[in-house]
Amino acid sequence: MSILAHIKKVNDYVWEIPKEFRKDMRVPVRIYASQKLLNEMDEMVFTQAINVSTLPGILRYSYVMPDGHSGYGFPIGGVAATDAETGVISPGGIGFDINCGMRLVLTNLTINDVRPRIKEIVDLLFQRIPAGVGSTGFLKLTTSQFKEVVEQGAKWCVENGYGWEEDLEYIEEKGCIEGADSSKISPKAIQRGIDQVGTLGSGNHYLEVQWVKPENIVDHEAAKKIGIFEDQIVIMYHCGSRGFGHQVATDYLQIFLNVMERKYSIKILDRELACAPFSSKEGQDYFAAMKCGINMSFANRQVILHRVREVFSKVFKTEPEKLGLKVVFDVAHNTAKLEEHVIDGKRMKVLVHRKGATRAFGPNAPGLPQKYMELGQPVIIGGSMETGSYLLLGTQKAMEETFGTTCHGSGRTMSRTKAKKLVRGEDLVKDMEKRGIYVRTVSYSGVAEEAGFAYKNIDEVVDAVAMAGLSKKVVRFIPIGNIKG
Amino acid sequence: MKIPVIVISGFLGAGKTTFLRRLISSVKKKLAIIMNEFGEVAIDAEVIKGKAVNMIELTGGCVCCSLTGELEYAINEIIEKVKPEYILIETTGIAEPDSLIYNLENIPSVVLDNVITIVDCDGIARFPEIGYTQRVQIESADFILLNKIDLVNEEQLKEVENKVRSINERALIFKTKFCNGNLDYNLFFGYFIDKESVKLNPSEHTEEFESLYFDFEGKVNREEFEKFISNLPRDIYRAKGNVIFKDGKYIFNYVAGRLSYDEFDYNKNRFLFVGKNIKKFENNLKNSIKKILQNE
Repeated sequence: MSILAHIKKVNDYVWEIPKEFRKDMRVPVRIYASQKLLNEMDEMVFTQAINVSTLPGILRYSYVMPDGHSGYGFPIGGVAATDAETGVISPGGIGFDINCGMRLVLTNLTINDVRPRIKEIVDLLFQRIPAGVGSTGFLKLTTSQFKEVVEQGAKWCVENGYGWEEDLEYIEEKGCIEGADSSKISPKAIQRGIDQVGTLGSGNHYLEVQWVKPENIVDHEAAKKIGIFEDQIVIMYHCGSRGFGHQVATDYLQIFLNVMERKYSIKILDRELACAPFSSKEGQDYFAAMKCGINMSFANRQVILHRVREVFSKVFKTEPEKLGLKVVFDVAHNTAKLEEHVIDGKRMKVLVHRKGATRAFGPNAPGLPQKYMELGQPVIIGGSMETGSYLLLGTQKAMEETFGTTCHGSGRTMSRTKAKKLVRGEDLVKDMEKRGIYVRTVSYSGVAEEAGFAYKNIDEVVDAVAMAGLSKKVVRFIPIGNIKG
Repeated sequence: MKIPVIVISGFLGAGKTTFLRRLISSVKKKLAIIMNEFGEVAIDAEVIKGKAVNMIELTGGCVCCSLTGELEYAINEIIEKVKPEYILIETTGIAEPDSLIYNLENIPSVVLDNVITIVDCDGIARFPEIGYTQRVQIESADFILLNKIDLVNEEQLKEVENKVRSINERALIFKTKFCNGNLDYNLFFGYFIDKESVKLNPSEHTEEFESLYFDFEGKVNREEFEKFISNLPRDIYRAKGNVIFKDGKYIFNYVAGRLSYDEFDYNKNRFLFVGKNIKKFENNLKNSIKKILQNE
């Protein structure tokens, strides 16, 4: 019998696979989804979430967000918090594109200012922000400089002239996660990352120029406080730690595979879930190396912001400060972070693995910028290239139920392969242009992979997290220009 | 002329690099190998920096390339600079190869020949479940090397084979140790029919492999041809050659249940079959070929 048949309804948007379903489960699985999204999930997602629930030290639940789909070991859209003292750390629960994430940037321009010049803007962005598999950035770093970048993240960039001091306030961890240690990084990882700061990369990474249509503002009060107004143009982009994060993950997966059983007697079902005790030497080394990936990615998005400001400044012949190019927030998708959460009334240190999931801290959570203390943390949800994207806010309920976590995007419904069989990239780009979205890409087949129909409906995904109370909707954006790798 | 590409996939530590080393040393072809970063295949050599790719020359005319640019640019740069007979792409062990495979199909200068996935038997035997990424790697394969058979017992090997087979029914499976199982590596390079492969003499081969060659005039009925190919005995691993249909002349490549064509001007039909003890099919094949000829 399929697993789906064993899933119990908790409420309209929360589903559970009880601990009794399989002997080796340490905690139940909780799936956040509408009935429709649940039915559309691949059986493999449930199997993976169950396997995750067997990891040593896992607390409360193994979670799947409404955009969940199968990935390496963990589902993408999978969340697991482990006890910092007794639990494990698993690269498969973080993902290889470490701290792949989203950044949202405001402008004080309107659709009327930008629409007539969209081609000029997108063409220039495409020229200035390298995209594609092996793309290299304009930043030429020495090895020792690169080590500084991965230890200091966006802070390094701002100190070196790529951004404004205030940008750092609006990045998770203020753009620099503490404890990143470049001595835990292999030369191979450095070699792969050294010339990739300031590049988008390929796959589902993109940068969009988006429009705030008046009817798409859901929470006017919150929007106003954040600095969003009707017909405004904003910039949103999605990218990560490129080959660097990939190599860090590869290096430590190999180490973990060697010590997991032999040294720590951890038995797992699927070796894609390779892990090590968080408190062990290997676990701590990976944590410090993974943090370098987090910082590399913050730096990457910071340098891209610098380029975005240059482009807008050039096109509008105005200083970027006067164009209001301010960061709303920068969120990470693929991380594990040491956080304090309350479990059964007890405050404890936990390692929260979020893979294809966004931190969504509620109002008054520690570490939030003053601006968002009352509102809750901004959560940026990227849709597929064709559909819209959202700005949400974190909630107290997310803090209580999901370790302050929500969805990250719309999640695939079909494989890249299948999408490409169904549509030609060139046709899609022409079609999008007809609908008012100007696209520049290095790879047409890459566009086809990312076609809107290959993804879950973003509105359904966001509705599910909103109805479940994990986030609050503020505004939906629609793209008018896009560059992708 | 399109350059054929072989994709080599497999889990971390399955033996992809070992396999590549063996290929390079046993196949007399000009190869260009694309990897994410120079692996252990290429050390102590001078790096030639290009626009989309860095290269290292290996012995025997092969080059080893690491991507620094978009795949399509890199491939075109390699073709322009070194004119390889074959391009091999080694994928990373932690990624699903399906995306790469279909990207290749959209690059006009190349044609996908086959996908080889190396499976680490010991790794599969030790863990009860095959993960998602590895599943996709196995699913995508035309050839599967069950490697490290020396690390498992017979019963485990059988179990691993069954598991792999349940994920991919069509691929040809070889059992190897250190990626070596009396393999004839030429089998993987089947895209072009060339003098060397036509002359294949079973005695020069590892004993398991035999080849059969037929050539004939006339036009072939496409529908009948496809039926014929899809009904080939399982022991025939590959079929390749030239075929003339009513609508044009093609080179065809059949590997592990997957048939592909590319336009190619040659004024004769030539079919080459390679497989395990297949001499016995000679008469059957001869008769079948008569049937697929188009009646004018």
